[in-house]
Amino acid sequence: MVVTRDTIVRYATYAVVAIAIIAPLLSENLFLLNLVSLMLIFIIFSSAWNLLACSGQGSLGHAAFFGIGAYASTLIAVKAGLSPYITIFLGAAVAAGIGILLGLTCVRLKEWFLAMVTFGFAIIVQTLTVSVLAPVSGGWDGIASPRLVSPAIPGYQLIEYYSILVISIAAILFIRYVMKSRAGLAFSAIRENELEARAAGVDPVKYRLLAFALSAFIAGVAGALQIHHIGYITPEIFGVDLSFWPITYVILGGLGTIAGPVIGTVVLTIIWDGLRLAGLTFSRYIIIGVILILTIIFLPKGLVDLPNQLPKWKEALHKMRGKTKTAGSPE
Amino acid sequence: MDLGILLQILFWGIYAGCIYILLATGLNLIFGVMKIVNFAHGEFLMIGAYITATVFLLTGLNPYAIILISMLALIGIGAVVERLCFRPILGTGKLNEIFLSIGLIYIIQNGVAVIWGDEWQSVQSPYEGITVPVGALNVPLDYIVIMVVTTAILCGLYLFLKRTKTGREMRATSQNRKGAMLVGINVERMDVLSFGIGCALAAAAGTLWVVSGQIFNPYMGSIPAVKAFAIIILGGLGSIPGAIAGGLLYGIAENSAAYFLGGVWKDAVSFILLIVVLVIRPTGLFGESGE
Repeated sequence: MVVTRDTIVRYATYAVVAIAIIAPLLSENLFLLNLVSLMLIFIIFSSAWNLLACSGQGSLGHAAFFGIGAYASTLIAVKAGLSPYITIFLGAAVAAGIGILLGLTCVRLKEWFLAMVTFGFAIIVQTLTVSVLAPVSGGWDGIASPRLVSPAIPGYQLIEYYSILVISIAAILFIRYVMKSRAGLAFSAIRENELEARAAGVDPVKYRLLAFALSAFIAGVAGALQIHHIGYITPEIFGVDLSFWPITYVILGGLGTIAGPVIGTVVLTIIWDGLRLAGLTFSRYIIIGVILILTIIFLPKGLVDLPNQLPKWKEALHKMRGKTKTAGSPE
Repeated sequence: MDLGILLQILFWGIYAGCIYILLATGLNLIFGVMKIVNFAHGEFLMIGAYITATVFLLTGLNPYAIILISMLALIGIGAVVERLCFRPILGTGKLNEIFLSIGLIYIIQNGVAVIWGDEWQSVQSPYEGITVPVGALNVPLDYIVIMVVTTAILCGLYLFLKRTKTGREMRATSQNRKGAMLVGINVERMDVLSFGIGCALAAAAGTLWVVSGQIFNPYMGSIPAVKAFAIIILGGLGSIPGAIAGGLLYGIAENSAAYFLGGVWKDAVSFILLIVVLVIRPTGLFGESGE
């Protein structure tokens, strides 16, 4: 049997999923469990951002949908008394609805304009939350949010972790399905050349809106999950930081791929929390920024492209060495 | 509603507009020559603010004189950033510039936080408390000095672009990059120069920000930069007169909104305006179709 890269990737995926399922049963480390839960949530979030970027729309304000999903889910759960397991999806549906509205204003915009509008949108939503909506949202102080699994149940952390794991796997499989489908093809066609896509019979408006709705929905799920996991929500959730994280994760992992957001999130979370344990504060961001810029310049397709790039780098290094040797040796 | 308050708002607006104009003009200059948009532009304003405050605390010079030091420093920093970060990715797609700017924002903001700490700071202007009667109302002397300084810088820029050989070369590059190359203009030199000058304009805005007594911290640059960006969208990408008109309108609109709707709305209103304009005209008010 020939071992192709695809089979390696497939078995590696199975292995990772198996580890994610078994590991928490073996060790009772709550710190790690919490860390991995948040990491899974961010995998969902960055995958959602990635889906939108696949259609050529780079959002700088995805925290808006993350936060809308979170607030909507919390408020529905509190007012209607529903289980967070249901409200997560209701909240996400609200985020998707607002995503379509924002998408309608964005369909005709080019990259920079779209980036500006999405960035501004997050600020508008934050302003609304702390001003007009303050009576329900609690203003800057925020409100308590019901936990996904009530802390009264023994081992609730573990149940919560498995729920998040299942939802994140479902989200990734769903995104994979979308990206392999006709819609996914249409997204890439629009991203590469909108005019040609239109000539080939792809309706850019329809597919751009679809991308907005799906991406906002999944981001909303991620936001709701995070808030029900933490148990508290404040308007900080709409902040620039949360809008930029998914971008950083996806660029490092590989834009437009399914594995990219996952790899990027895992690698950066490890680096980030490793640096925190090492006692760095501001310098952590500097390191992340340097990593981001180096990735864009030297590894434009992200870490998933590393297996293809490494031989090239080796060759280049070899050539450089050869040159310096001939230049340096007089004989 | 009496006229005095309206005039007051107008003056605040023009004063705020001065800072936005400097930022937006710099962004436009860079966009014109390099066709890139640097979302980290506000971070240069912030560096300018810190340089001004530091030099002021060390030497006690008149802060308005420090504007020259901060502009010179930022020309250097801008040239380095252009050479190391933006030149390698020129022409690889617009999304890359946006992402690269995010990396720059992380590095610059937190680099400054490491050096100077992340608390809010402020500097007292030497003209604090001095007001000049203009018609019916008393205007702080600082506001007038800031308007004069901004006008002087813009006139200087205009003369540089119109009357010097380098300025003409820069305009040629901005009009047609390939054509400029053909007639022997070193376009990469123009890139470095325009980026440096753009950053210097941001530094001037930073100095004015500090001198007028506004507080600053390492994270304050993003919002003015994004507004400057909104201004150049309104005024048309690459158009410097558009940036000036847009900056003034924006400053006035924002301060009216803050007065009539409350301070929370100051930032949001400008974006609502931006979104409304873009819905009606996807390429901006005075923007040309296409790019």
